[in-house]
Amino acid sequence: MTALFRLLSRTKLYWGLLLICLIGAVTSPQTSAGHNIFLSYGNLTDVLRQVSITGLVATGMTMVILLGGIDLSVGSVMGFSTVICAMLLTKPGWTTASAMGVPAAMLVGGAAVALAARFVFAGLARGRDVSAGPRREIALSRWRSTAIPGLLGLIAAIAIAWWTLNQVPTKFGVLGVLLMAPCLALVLGGINGLLIVTGRLQPFIATLAMMVSALGIARLTAGSDNAVVPVYTGTNATEAFELLRSMLWGVLPVPSVFFLAAIILFGAMLRFTTFGRYAYAIGGNVEAAKLSGIKVAQVQLSAYLLSGLLAGIAGVLFVAQYRQGKPDAGAGLELDAIAAVVIGGTSLMGGRGGLAGTFVGVLIFGLLSDILQLQNIDSNVQLVMKGLIIVCTVLVQEQNLGQLVARWQFRRSGAAHVDPKTADAHRLPSAAKAQFAREDLDEAS
Amino acid sequence: MKRREFLKLSTTAAGAAITVYLPAGWTPARAAGKSKVGFSQCTTLEPWRVQFNKDIQAEAKNHPDIELIITDGQDKTEKQVADCDNLIVQQVNVLLISPKESAGLTGVVEKAIDAKIPVIVLDRNVDTKRITQFIGGDNVAIGKAAGEHAVKLLGGAGKAAGNVVEIWGGMGTQPAHDRHDGFHAFTDKEPGIKYLLNNQSGDWKQDKAYDIMTTALRNNEKIDMVYGHNDPMAYGAYLAAKDAGRDKDIKFIIGIDGLPDEGVTWVSKGQLTATFLYATPGAEGLRQAAKLLKGEKLEPVITLPTMLITKENAPEILKKNGLL
Repeated sequence: MTALFRLLSRTKLYWGLLLICLIGAVTSPQTSAGHNIFLSYGNLTDVLRQVSITGLVATGMTMVILLGGIDLSVGSVMGFSTVICAMLLTKPGWTTASAMGVPAAMLVGGAAVALAARFVFAGLARGRDVSAGPRREIALSRWRSTAIPGLLGLIAAIAIAWWTLNQVPTKFGVLGVLLMAPCLALVLGGINGLLIVTGRLQPFIATLAMMVSALGIARLTAGSDNAVVPVYTGTNATEAFELLRSMLWGVLPVPSVFFLAAIILFGAMLRFTTFGRYAYAIGGNVEAAKLSGIKVAQVQLSAYLLSGLLAGIAGVLFVAQYRQGKPDAGAGLELDAIAAVVIGGTSLMGGRGGLAGTFVGVLIFGLLSDILQLQNIDSNVQLVMKGLIIVCTVLVQEQNLGQLVARWQFRRSGAAHVDPKTADAHRLPSAAKAQFAREDLDEAS
Repeated sequence: MKRREFLKLSTTAAGAAITVYLPAGWTPARAAGKSKVGFSQCTTLEPWRVQFNKDIQAEAKNHPDIELIITDGQDKTEKQVADCDNLIVQQVNVLLISPKESAGLTGVVEKAIDAKIPVIVLDRNVDTKRITQFIGGDNVAIGKAAGEHAVKLLGGAGKAAGNVVEIWGGMGTQPAHDRHDGFHAFTDKEPGIKYLLNNQSGDWKQDKAYDIMTTALRNNEKIDMVYGHNDPMAYGAYLAAKDAGRDKDIKFIIGIDGLPDEGVTWVSKGQLTATFLYATPGAEGLRQAAKLLKGEKLEPVITLPTMLITKENAPEILKKNGLL
C-alpha cells in the first residue's frame, strides 16, 4: 500500500498531465459531426506546435537552472534571432545581419569542429591506454591536442565562409538561416557564460544585463525604421522556408520535431553522460563539485551556450510560424520558460529535476491554454488561471501540499489530546516527516 | 622640423581652424533665422510610431524655415520627461509631444507652458486645459465606421447575419475598448450576427492573434468575418486560416490602422478585405506648428478623419507612398 502510494506520489506530475487531458476531453466542445474537438489529432498537434518555441527555450533553461543559475536573456536573444533570421531571408547583400552572421557562423563552426576533433583524439588515446581509469587526465601530444584540431577547425571555418559568402548576394536559404541565427545567439549565450564564469557575476545580473542589451542590439540590427521585419514567403523570402512550419510526413509539425529532438538529445545527455552527472553535482553543491575535481567553469559555460543556441533556434521557428521578425518577439518568454521548468519539478536552487519534468511542464501549460481557449474564456481570466496552475502544481510538486494537509489533519486530530502549549503541536509527527524526507531523497536520485 | 614640434603646430592649427568654423558651421538654424520645433515621440518600437516619425519628417521638408528636433522616449515615461526638459532648455519655439501616458507627462507639459513655449499634444492627451492644441484620431468613430462596414458586408442593416471573430488589442488599453465599443454600436443591433469569442486579447500582436485564430478555427466550423483591432492581428488571423487551409471560407477580414507597408499592402493583395485608416498626426502636427509660428490662432482640438481602404483605393495609396 505504501509502495503504491509512493509510486503514485513519484509520478504525480504525469498524473497531473493525464488529469488535464481528462478535463480537456470531458469539457471539450463537439463538432457538428459529434467528434471531440480537444482530442482531435489536429488540435493536439496544434498544441504541440504552439508549445515548441517556449519548449525549446525551457529546455535550455532547465540545464541552466539545474546548475543553480538562471538565464533571463533568452527572450531578448530569441527576439534578436528572429530579426537576424527575417533580415537574412528577405534582404540580399551585406546587411547588418549578414555582416554579423558570417563571422559568427565561422567562429562557432570552427570552434565546434576543433573541440570535436580534440574530444575524439582524447577518446582514442584513452582507448589505447588500458591503464587509464575513467577519471585520469589524458596527456596528448601537442600535435594531437592543438595542431590537428586547430587545422580542422580552420578548414571548417573556411568551408562555412565559402558557403555563406556565396549566399550573401542573394537571399539566404533555410539551411543558411538555421546555421547563422542560432550561431549568433550562441555567441550571446557565450558572453553570458563568460561573464558568469570568468567575471564571477551573479547569473541573475549577467543575464539581466544581456536581456537589456540584446534587445538593444536587435533594435539596432533591424534599424530604426523597422519595428517589424515582415517575411512574406514566396514574394520576399524563399519558398523553401515554408518547410519549417509544415507537417513532417503529415504526422508531426516541424517545430515540434525540433522541440522533441532537443528534449530527447539533452535529456539523454543529462542522464547518461558525465556532463549530465557533473551538472547535477554542481547544482547540488558547487564547492563540493569543485573540490572533487569537476571542471565547473566548463560545464557552466556550456549550459549558457546551449541556452543561447536553443533560444536562437526558437527564433527561427518563430519567424517560420508567424512570418515576421521583431526585437520584442520574445518579451516575457523567459518567465514562461521558467514557469514551465518549475512546474516540471526542477528546483530553482539547482541540482534537482530533469528534462522529462520540463517536457510535461511545457505540455501542461500548453494544454491548459488550449482548454481555456476552446472554452472561450476571457483573456484576463486566463491569466489568473495560469497563475493558479503554477502555484498549485508547484505546491503539489514540492510536497508542500502534503505537509500542509498533514499539519492541518494533525492539528485537528492531535490538538484535542496534546497540550496546545507544547511546541510539538505545530510540528509534523516525526514519522510523517521522515517519510517526506525519504521521498525527497528518492526524487533527487 | 622635429616630430614633436610638428605635432604641436598641427594641433594648434587644427584647433584654431575648428574654433573659427564651429560657431558658423554647427548652428545653421540660428544663422538662417530658423525657428526650432521640438517633437517628443514616446517610442519608435511600433510600426505605427515609425510611420508617425516618417510623416512628420516628410512634412518638415515642406517647411525650410523650421528646424525639427525629434527625440525618442524609448517607451519610458521618465525618458520622455527628460527629453521634454531637454527641449525646454534648448528653447524650442513650439513643443510637439505624443505622450506615452497622460498622468506622467502632464507636469512637464505645464512646465513648458510656464516657460512660454506653446504645446501641441498629439494622439494621446494630457490632463491640462492649458495646451494650445490637441490633434488625434477618434477610435470610437473608427470602430463605428468598421461596424457599419461590417454590417453592410454581412447583408445590410436589419438582414445582416454571420459568425464574427473579434480579436481584441491589449485589454488594458483605451484604444482597444474604443474600437470594440464603436464596432458594437452598429453590429449589436443585428440579431443575425453571432460573436464567437469572448474578450480574447491578441495584445496588438500578429503572433498572439495567430494562436487565438488557430484554436478558434478548430472550435468553429463556420467563421464569416474576422475583426482585428489592428491590421497585424487581422493579418495573423488570415495566416492562421491560410495555414489551416480555410482562408477561402472566411469571407471578410477587417483591420484598423492602414499603414502603407502593412494594412494597405495586405488589402491590395486581397488578404484583408478592408482596413480603416488611423492616421498619424505627424504631418498635421507640423503644419499646425508652422501656422502657429506665423502668428495664426489654432483651434483647440483637431480630430483626424478615418478612411475606408479597400482593394479599389489601396493601389493608389501604395503609389503615393512609393511602394508600388
